[in-house]
Amino acid sequence: MHQDKWADMTEEQQMLRDASERYLRDNYDFNQRRDGFRAGNYMSQSHWDAMAEMGWMAMPFCEAAGGLGFGMQECATVAEQFGRFLVVEPVLDSVVIAGTLLSYPGVMTPNALVESMAVGEALVIVAHEEQDAAPSITNTQTVLIETSDGFQLQGAKRFAAGGGSATHFIVTAMLGEQFAYVLIARDAQGLQVDSYQTYDGRSGANLDMDMVLPADALIASGPLAEQAFEQARARAMLMASAESVGAMQAALDATVEYTKQRVQFGQTLSSFQALQHRMSDMLIQLELTRSLVASACRAHDEGAEDAQRLTLAAKVKAATAARRVTQEAIQLHGGIATTDEYSVGHHFKRVTALESWIVSREEALESFIAVVDAA
Amino acid sequence: MTDYTAFRQEVRDFLDANLTRELIRAGQLTTSVFSDFDAGLAWQKNLHAQGWAAPDWPKEYGGTGWDINERYIFQEECKLANAPAPVMMGIQMLGPMLMHYGTEEQKAYYLPRMLSGEDVWAQGYSEPGAGSDLASLKTTAIRDGDHYTVDGTKIWTSMAHHANRIFCLVKTNKEVKPQAGISFLLIDLDTPGITIDEIVSLDGHVEQCQVFFEGVKVPASHLVGEENDGWSVAKYLLEFERGGHNFTIDLKKQLAKLRKQAGSVKSRHGQPKLQDPVFRHRLAEAEIEAMALEQTELRIKGSVSAGGNPGALSSLVKCVGTELGQRFNELSIDAVGQAAIPFHPSSLDPRYDGPTPAPDYALTSMAEYINNRAATIYGGTAEIQRTIIAKQILKL
Repeated sequence: MHQDKWADMTEEQQMLRDASERYLRDNYDFNQRRDGFRAGNYMSQSHWDAMAEMGWMAMPFCEAAGGLGFGMQECATVAEQFGRFLVVEPVLDSVVIAGTLLSYPGVMTPNALVESMAVGEALVIVAHEEQDAAPSITNTQTVLIETSDGFQLQGAKRFAAGGGSATHFIVTAMLGEQFAYVLIARDAQGLQVDSYQTYDGRSGANLDMDMVLPADALIASGPLAEQAFEQARARAMLMASAESVGAMQAALDATVEYTKQRVQFGQTLSSFQALQHRMSDMLIQLELTRSLVASACRAHDEGAEDAQRLTLAAKVKAATAARRVTQEAIQLHGGIATTDEYSVGHHFKRVTALESWIVSREEALESFIAVVDAA
Repeated sequence: MTDYTAFRQEVRDFLDANLTRELIRAGQLTTSVFSDFDAGLAWQKNLHAQGWAAPDWPKEYGGTGWDINERYIFQEECKLANAPAPVMMGIQMLGPMLMHYGTEEQKAYYLPRMLSGEDVWAQGYSEPGAGSDLASLKTTAIRDGDHYTVDGTKIWTSMAHHANRIFCLVKTNKEVKPQAGISFLLIDLDTPGITIDEIVSLDGHVEQCQVFFEGVKVPASHLVGEENDGWSVAKYLLEFERGGHNFTIDLKKQLAKLRKQAGSVKSRHGQPKLQDPVFRHRLAEAEIEAMALEQTELRIKGSVSAGGNPGALSSLVKCVGTELGQRFNELSIDAVGQAAIPFHPSSLDPRYDGPTPAPDYALTSMAEYINNRAATIYGGTAEIQRTIIAKQILKL
């Protein structure tokens, strides 16, 4: 509803949105998702396969590599639906975030890997964050040591989101004074992977590495690696924000519906003006965020001068608004929303995980200050 | 001014001598109002042996007879020493109510069993259709000779899966206006016709239940107060739920934990997150709010000591205390970031001794954040509290 009124989507984006909405609405059942989580699953392989079938894994890759060549605007329309329907499959983690690091111009990626990612066979997760440290480039302690015929990789990575189902990891490390990243297969010798479920119904992985790598494991190093990583971080901010918009929309819709049904003191909750105003505020926050996220995605795709400023602003706004809107959704529902059986609490948990996914709200805020002050 | 130094020392000595490592661990891993049930019960038995199971009760009923300052000190020392929290619905809510409205038989039978932990009570107030509007409850109790027959359901009955008894508000007269037809009934949970469904909370744990009653026969002697006078009984009891809590103690403990968390994480500049200006300012602002609440609680405590009644000010304290607690939870999430996200229930089990995906300082952040969303819903929502303030203080 609101989307149509506010956004100026291209026909292609509109089709993508309709297709993803239709698939998820018809097939992505909330109770099934919950049962899967309770059974200990990290994701649903059948949903993953269906999403690959529909081409969602190919979205950001260039056509030469078997991709669809979509920009962040298109990816964001899908991300928004993921947020609405509480998708747990780490599609964006793999194809957008890892995909950016593997397809950034100039990096050394085996072509076969990108092709198998684009059809959903390979699931690649970036492992960057380390214990007791914010996930910025400067907090990289893992080391890559050059040997006569390759590298030695030593260190530990924490909280790699989506890592439970990964077939490969991209691990960041310091190569001497240079930032670098390597590609390693999940079953590689010397890599220990500890997987676990996460509060947002997904999975994560901790990695401990003391391993020998062939020379071609190195994907990028130095300024090239830093630029690619910055690009991936920008896209992570955009995807987290777009997904949060979808989560806010779903939480607001559920709240409006529920308050229209729920009767207390002889009248529906929705008839109390104090509660109407709260829901109006939720809508205001949602629409402000939607505008900022859409413009940030557009600026990013166009390579506009203010893309960075808009992206950082969108990330901060989305994290702040999504926290507030989903908290309000729980509060206005009351007890029912504090149970595992009800959806809005799951939106709340998902946006909480997104707040600090790859780039935290506070880091984005600080970077925003640096960008506007430098201008 | 009475000097409480000796009393505080006595409490500390007792805690030192009796809080085992396992009990402390259970206290540290508490992520809601309730600690691990077994640990809480074990701790209650310790307290009972010392004669401290009911800090708020008068001596004649087996309480401590402490004044309000002693009770505050006791609460504070227990919290700061990470003592686990026993299930207190009996001692904190039903007990004072029975002292006021109960028969001699009821008092003699139930009160000692609450103290010893032999009885664990659940509270049966809310129903699926009766939350904030409690008086619209539909569970009926029909008098038939020497018993009542109870039919209906109660929801958000905390810890009912561990309890052996439940105190309930039931409808005994449907002909009059809602408040006038309610009675207060004590029910044994092993009575035929009762089923208890566990409700999985958002954090994946079970604390809440829904209890179903189908043709449940309850002896008429289990009625508390007069028939159809349950509403005044319940209102008396709700005051204990709202007024008895000291939020400052919780907030101080949260603040100490938060400092430790933010001190453990390195920010992007290499210094601890606690020194990061963006974070530091927000923490300081929240701390100042907590100071304002502390001074308000002290003011109220002073007036209660002098024989006053806090009245609707307890609604003010409940709003601010719960909302500030939630703000501290948010800061905790901001401090630890992705370390809060692993879902690993064993990590929160005090008996578990294996590896955990997240570091120790981050284990409770997410469950606390999630569970504490309910703090502005239970015991009268934040909206109901504000309505009470508007009506009773502002006279609107």
